[in-house]
Amino acid sequence: MEEQAAYLTQAIDSILAGAGSLLPELLLALFFLLLVTLDLFKSKTVKRLLPWVALTGLFSVLVLSVLDRHVAEVQFLNLLRSDGIARYAGILFSLTGIFTILLSLQNPKIDKRKQGEGRGEYYGLILVLVLGLNLMAKSVNLLMVFLAIELVSIASYILTLTLKEEKRAVEAGLKYVLYGTLSAGVMLYGMSFFYGLTGSLDYTLVSFWRSLLEASPLMVTVAAILVFAGFLFKISAAPFHFWTPDVYQGAPMPIVALFSTGPKMAGIIIILRFVAAFADPTIANAFSDVLLFLGIAALATLAVGNFTALWQRTPRRLMAFSSVSHAGFLMLALLAFGSDYTVSVLFYMTVLVFMNFGMFLFLQMAEENWQVRTLEDFRGMGHRIPFACIMALLFLLSLTGLPPLAGFMGKLLVFSNVWEAYTANGQAMLLVLLVVGILLTGVALFYYIKIPYYLFLKRNQTAENLVISLSNKLLLVFFAGPLLVFFFKPDLLLHWIEKLLA
Amino acid sequence: MNYTLSSLIFLPLLAAFVVLLLPTRMQRGIKAVTLGGTLLQLAVAIWVYLGFDGTKAASGQAGYQFVEKLDWIGFSLGSLGRFQIEYFVGVDGLSIGMVLLTGIVGVIGVISSWNITKNVKGYCALYLLLMTSVMGCFLALDFFLFYLFFEFMLLPMYFLIGMWGGPKREYAALKFFIYTLVGSLFILIVMIGLYTSVIDPEATAQQMGLIGQNVPASLDMVRQVQQMLQQGTIAEADLVRTFSIPAMMEPANFIPGSLLHVFSGITLFDLPLRFVAFLLVLAGFLIKVPSVPVHTWLPDAHVEAPTPISVLLAAILLKVGGYGLIRIVYPVFPDAGAYFSTLVGGLGVLSIIYGALCALAMNDLKKLIAYSSVSHMGFVLLGVASLTNEGVNGAIYMMFSHGLISAMLFLVVGVIYDRAHDRMILNFRGLAKRMPAYTAFVVVAFFASLGLPGFSGFIAELLVLLGSFSAPEATGMLPRWMAIVAVIGLLLSAAYYLWALQRMFFGKYWIFPELREKAIISDLTKREYLMLLPLAVLAFIFGIFPHLLLDKTGMTVTGFTDLVLRNGQEQLNILQAILNR
Repeated sequence: MEEQAAYLTQAIDSILAGAGSLLPELLLALFFLLLVTLDLFKSKTVKRLLPWVALTGLFSVLVLSVLDRHVAEVQFLNLLRSDGIARYAGILFSLTGIFTILLSLQNPKIDKRKQGEGRGEYYGLILVLVLGLNLMAKSVNLLMVFLAIELVSIASYILTLTLKEEKRAVEAGLKYVLYGTLSAGVMLYGMSFFYGLTGSLDYTLVSFWRSLLEASPLMVTVAAILVFAGFLFKISAAPFHFWTPDVYQGAPMPIVALFSTGPKMAGIIIILRFVAAFADPTIANAFSDVLLFLGIAALATLAVGNFTALWQRTPRRLMAFSSVSHAGFLMLALLAFGSDYTVSVLFYMTVLVFMNFGMFLFLQMAEENWQVRTLEDFRGMGHRIPFACIMALLFLLSLTGLPPLAGFMGKLLVFSNVWEAYTANGQAMLLVLLVVGILLTGVALFYYIKIPYYLFLKRNQTAENLVISLSNKLLLVFFAGPLLVFFFKPDLLLHWIEKLLA
Repeated sequence: MNYTLSSLIFLPLLAAFVVLLLPTRMQRGIKAVTLGGTLLQLAVAIWVYLGFDGTKAASGQAGYQFVEKLDWIGFSLGSLGRFQIEYFVGVDGLSIGMVLLTGIVGVIGVISSWNITKNVKGYCALYLLLMTSVMGCFLALDFFLFYLFFEFMLLPMYFLIGMWGGPKREYAALKFFIYTLVGSLFILIVMIGLYTSVIDPEATAQQMGLIGQNVPASLDMVRQVQQMLQQGTIAEADLVRTFSIPAMMEPANFIPGSLLHVFSGITLFDLPLRFVAFLLVLAGFLIKVPSVPVHTWLPDAHVEAPTPISVLLAAILLKVGGYGLIRIVYPVFPDAGAYFSTLVGGLGVLSIIYGALCALAMNDLKKLIAYSSVSHMGFVLLGVASLTNEGVNGAIYMMFSHGLISAMLFLVVGVIYDRAHDRMILNFRGLAKRMPAYTAFVVVAFFASLGLPGFSGFIAELLVLLGSFSAPEATGMLPRWMAIVAVIGLLLSAAYYLWALQRMFFGKYWIFPELREKAIISDLTKREYLMLLPLAVLAFIFGIFPHLLLDKTGMTVTGFTDLVLRNGQEQLNILQAILNR
């Protein structure tokens, strides 16, 4: 009895010790409950307030994580770890959440339709999704990873279906659920292997991998590949990317923007923690098959993303494959062991957030206000509404990775890491990845340039001017500004990231 | 520090901002600002040209004048040291001619743009952006800065061809963009490889605490750091990696164990990695030059581009390719430069002959001139590959002279196209009767281009041929037949020019019946005189007084060839010893 009591106090103590680090998550949960409660009121003013409540929640979490002076790493029950990476990722997630809501406020479909029912649930689910993302970034335990991923997934399924009267949305939602549950099942199966082999679920510990050294390498490879099925699904990497174009086509634009950044970044961080053990040469040598699988997956993701994008005729599908290819670039960075790749990955993600949200805001304007459905519909737009189109050009060039935009810096850092890793360990695979990655940038230009090609080079008979609202204009500038700043002064951001990681 | 070069680079950018602020209706005002911006740029370029002291011996960083060096991006890589990007510009004998040329052609281009009416504001803003990036490219001494300007040239050019070009403009613009982007991606790979391999000895000394921050390092200090580096006694965390091109030119700055170090011994396809890197950057710049077989974007781009943009493209953008060879490719990889001189020279000769033969077969006057550019740029490759003083001086002179003359040639084509909306050689005959002054300029341009003594083209070709003839003895580069075959190129260029001249301008006046309705065949206007006359005069002046440019380039070129030959031979021996092991 006394032993139990001692254990209990100990457990409570460790919960209390770690609880402080979970403040952002608790806050998000609190605001979610608040939203659901407020949603019960029928008053129109309350309904109109809902997005602002959600914004307040996210904003306070953002401020909290930026100002947090807590530098030391905190562990919560061996399940969650609040370290620099998680903290910086948390900032990014809050930003994506805020941006998603800002985009939603500009979206007439969501705004009008949601005047009555479902408004609270929409904004609430965004909060839940961000909460899930935070947990994903903090998880150091396979079970916790699974739970966090599922939390994100379930929120994603419902958000995809926001516009449920549209046939496409229903199709997308169904496909997403089917693929999602399947990959979750496969992942869980792989995790059970790991547990069976090591008796532990804390995969970030080197001891976890050490104990795997005694197991049959084939078993480990199989288990790892099964687990990766789940991770790769979340970051929409090949060969688990098939849901991406359909979901991007069916979901409302702000949600697409969220999917193209949030879950992708969180998934990358999970993989980052997973493969960190490979920095140890003995482990890397013992499980070189796992590395090979990851390398091939990165290569396939890059190739599939970039080449398939060439054949797309709608901007949404084009952006879907663009997001696949960016997943490939991020995976590339994760394989550069022996170099300081974490900073580069976080920098790349930050840039990704700004350029993707900027581009999706432009697409949302094009779709809702100018009835653009296919790439051809962009014909001559650049002459009718130059400002927005020049902004779109900036986002697209940044996505391609051309100077003078931050997308170039992101790629430069990633490629530098790969080169350094190659210098350090001389793996031929890295050189292949480097060369393929760089050359695919040329392919990427080919499809990204299609949009400016129609915007500026093609002409349209109607020449009437189009207008955009001031808020949209400001948002475009807001997303484009950092892309220039982070090109000309990337060290501002890099220093900050490094300080958080130290 | 003075800001002469910065103003040279950023004056057009400033003018571009002014253009963007002006209301769209004020077309004349916008053009005036554009002209003013480029005139100012020209004025500063002339100032720099006059102020440049060509007698200063060029060794290491001392060889650069008007230098500006500011910290731009510095970032710590944790245990892997730091990397730094500098705003580092300067001018030396290799770039002084290009700077002057850019200034001159920029102004001529604006005058020739005066009859653009479609979306003037956008046109002028893009034009000025282009001028900024080209000038930046010629002045940058930091590889990253160079790459930034190099890439940034593509975008304005894409829109200038794609929005203001001819009927197939979209295709041509896209082809141009993709070709040159692929080229610059090759360069990017090598740039990454280089900066992870090279340190800045001065900054490393500061990082190690050997000297205080912001204290310049003495030559002894630099030597000491380099020695320590090669012995491997500097901690990894103290290494400051750099993009500085002068630093990359010194083999002692390469980190031992890095892949591009001479001793690295790593091979790819049985070639040392340094050779592979050389071939990659070479390919990147050859696309820009352009050299056969990667020249196919050029005729398309030229034919579809509006006249002023063709002028810029031929006169200054192509020069970036040749300039890249002498600024980066050869000094950084002298060993591979020596090893592959036959390849580069051979591509040069191939371009000379193939370009000339294609020009001979063209019916479109603009295409003829585009192919003649390919042929003439071949001389640049040949001259550089010879690695003799005459050859390299000739290559630089060729770039300068071709800049003036090709600008004139494309303007001349523009004149007839403006009048007849057609430029097929066979659709015209006896134009000299109706347009005597125009014909006079055509004759000057054609003869200057085919290398008539008295014009700048002659000096350039003479120097290149002298260099490549003497190369087998003087430097051991290039087989003798190359110079001989290149001479045949001269004959061919005489053939295509004279033939075109005879078909189009002499004989009885006649134009193709379908053109007659729209064509108004009148002689030159004042504006056209204004743009053709200065170029003709300059081509003449630089043909009579070659020392105007050679005095400025001479010392730097001597330093360049010495460095490439000396380092090249040394490193080549090392590489071959490693390979044969």
